[in-house]
Amino acid sequence: MISYSKFLTLSAALALVAISPQLGAEPATFATRVAPVLEKNCTGCHGENKQKGGLRLDTFAHVMRGSDDRVVVKAGDFSTSELHRRIILPASDEDVMPSDGKPLLSSADIALLEKWIAAGAPATEPFDAPALARLPITSSAAPDYRPRLAAATALAQKLGVRLVPRSIVPTDGLILRTASAPTQCTDAVLAQLAPVADLIVEAELARTKITDAGLASLALCPNLQILDLTQTAVTAQGLGALHLLKNLGVLNLTNTAADKTTAASLKNLPSLHRLWLFGTPADPVIAKPAAAVVK
Amino acid sequence: MASPHPLQPDLCSDHGGEHPTIWDLPNIPLGLKQEWLNLETRRHFLGRGAKALAWAGLASILGRSLPRALANESSSAPLLPHFAPKAKRAIYLFMAGAPSQFETWDYKPGLSSMFNQDLPESVRGGQQLTGMTASQTRFPVAPSFYKFAQHGQAGRWCSELFPYTAKVSDELCVIKSLHTEAINHEPAILSITTGNMFPGKPSVGAWLSYGLGAINDELPTFVVMISKMPIQVNVQALSNRLWSSGFLSPEHAAVALRSGSNPVLHLKDPPGVDRSVRRAMIDGVNDLNHQLFDRVGDPEINARISQYEMAFRMQTSVPELTNFSDEPSSTWDLYGPKAKEPGTFAYNCLMARRLAERGVRFSQVFLRSWDQHNNLPTNIKILAEDSDRPTQGLIADLKRRGMLDDTLVIWGGEFGRTVYSQGALKPQDYGRDHHPRCFSMWLAGGGVKPGISYGETDDFSYNIAKDPVHIRDLHATMLHQFGFDHERLTHKFQGLEQKLTGVLPARVIRDILL
Ligand code: HEC
Repeated sequence: MISYSKFLTLSAALALVAISPQLGAEPATFATRVAPVLEKNCTGCHGENKQKGGLRLDTFAHVMRGSDDRVVVKAGDFSTSELHRRIILPASDEDVMPSDGKPLLSSADIALLEKWIAAGAPATEPFDAPALARLPITSSAAPDYRPRLAAATALAQKLGVRLVPRSIVPTDGLILRTASAPTQCTDAVLAQLAPVADLIVEAELARTKITDAGLASLALCPNLQILDLTQTAVTAQGLGALHLLKNLGVLNLTNTAADKTTAASLKNLPSLHRLWLFGTPADPVIAKPAAAVVK
Repeated sequence: MASPHPLQPDLCSDHGGEHPTIWDLPNIPLGLKQEWLNLETRRHFLGRGAKALAWAGLASILGRSLPRALANESSSAPLLPHFAPKAKRAIYLFMAGAPSQFETWDYKPGLSSMFNQDLPESVRGGQQLTGMTASQTRFPVAPSFYKFAQHGQAGRWCSELFPYTAKVSDELCVIKSLHTEAINHEPAILSITTGNMFPGKPSVGAWLSYGLGAINDELPTFVVMISKMPIQVNVQALSNRLWSSGFLSPEHAAVALRSGSNPVLHLKDPPGVDRSVRRAMIDGVNDLNHQLFDRVGDPEINARISQYEMAFRMQTSVPELTNFSDEPSSTWDLYGPKAKEPGTFAYNCLMARRLAERGVRFSQVFLRSWDQHNNLPTNIKILAEDSDRPTQGLIADLKRRGMLDDTLVIWGGEFGRTVYSQGALKPQDYGRDHHPRCFSMWLAGGGVKPGISYGETDDFSYNIAKDPVHIRDLHATMLHQFGFDHERLTHKFQGLEQKLTGVLPARVIRDILL
């Protein structure tokens, strides 16, 4: 089973967190940081008009009062706070909040609520909130590509593939791109990319000639987050090699021979949260969050 | 209801004519047309810029594989996103003619009790009317003829016109508060495709091509498909000014895929000319162009060279692309049987998925005839029946293949329609005039929050009540999903840093983003 906290690492990595303009000099307090999150995600059902579960979350007093049944915020300890338990559940759990399939809280919002509760859930005093103005990932997806980009590009060109920066942010990593000539991309090509393996955060390998042998090379890309193996000859057995990829969050196995044993091969991928198995023997477990598949 | 008729006279006053190509002219032997085009093309070589080629169906594109920072010839290399993008590609289902929001996505239950009552003057507030209804003495409220029901986990109210799309309602983000300045089709379509109501600006797809470059060098970055119409009423003229590269290099303009067995004109080698001969000819032409470039240094010459290269590469990539025999049978269940018929909207939706799969950045599928000034209940149903199932099919297909997360799907027209009937109002027959003050669109995938609605209109869907979204804001949001700050994706032209969103303030609609 994929643990939620690990899942967060990756979703944070992939998320394009909206950077709110109001964040900045203002000290973080319940009113400036916590209330807006509750207001945006919760008060539609837990507010003045509706009190689902006998709970209101639209004022500090209501939050601390809790529901008709229990206190939901235990100042100082988020791990035993019902409010916290509800927001970290996977989407498939029927207890998850917000309910009704509404978008879940971002990892940044969850981290914020944790900080606030851990700081004793202060009413007005400032607390040490995580700075949200920067994406956590922008500093850590991969090492700075600048010193090695020219060499990486030249190497890729020689091998008939491409390595392109994901963005101008030098630590956003490189995308391995093969769509112009997928059949030129073989296991041997992947092996030769070893010198730049740590820069690759995404590998677009659909319709390439990759087999299980190539997966062994991919396993050496420690920062790989997204891997598309659509319509390749990889098998569930070979996928076992990927267990080293602690950051792999999205894996597309559409139209491969991935079978029922795939789940076992992937169970040690801590960050995996999207797994696609359309057109495989493991179908129809389609488009479910990985947690649901691997369970 | 009036019986549907495939050809009805145009009621709408502002339609320009189609521009026929030589292929459309009757009674001219095919060989002669080809000869004419050859001569014309040769003349272009000597005389005109690369843009002239677009009409021949080969507007083009090229493979630009190095980011600008690395490339030697700086002008044609792509930029890089300002931050990691959510979306890699977009599929834009353009409902030309402007579907009414009342029968589609802006449910107004309150109107049913107001049938034939006059729209309060206070609501209309002196709004400009088109020449088509300015002389009307009454503005009777026309409730939707079609019923709505709640669908999906989110309980969205969906029109019975879209029973299939309703099934993927939880994937959609419906924006009900779009608005635009233009009240007539041509400027409105230009505004929404290029950000400006005057021709000559680059289309959204061209900006993306300019900013991101190609994923697949063997195919264009930007493709346009114009669907066969199930009914032809008040048909909008579409032309390449809607998908042009404007002041950007011509390689960023869309390639228009045609329906039928020859999706790209002149792609097949002429009888008796094999591929090596063709290659030699293109090399020869490129050689001449290189010499010309060395002499005059016009960058358009290089663009022209890459167009010929692209055309040559497409000779091999297009047949594979258009061969649907590798589709599983479930494809036809999703898109419906019409997807087998080249040129239909269903076929184009499936083609759009195949293009997206192969790395085409931006596919724009046009479906026309939504301009329902009269006979609305009959005609909107015909269009909905034509498009509903493949629309749902496309979303579901992208989703099951793991592509919806990074493919932004957009559905909508160029403006909204009036709450009051144009012409006589009967319970089962009415029309609606153009209405730029509010209209609905939906987005799906590409990092947009699923299962939500954004923006609200008043009880008459006449004015926006909450969270207005100008089409500039929509454009800024689209660019944002591709990793671009719309303020910084610019191109210097006529002394200005030009951008898709123009000079007025535009905002990214962050509330709808994951
Ligand atoms: C769409 C409506 C909806 C939204 C939005 C929503 N909730 Fe709930 N919530 C419910 C319902 C219904 C219940 C009662 C059923 C249950 O306990 O699961 C509930 C119960 C709860 C409970 C348990 C109360 C108790 O004592 O049992 C907590 C805690 C909670 N919600 C927190 C939140 C938080 C935090 C948010 C915002 C992140 C949120 N909810 C958003 C509908 C919602």
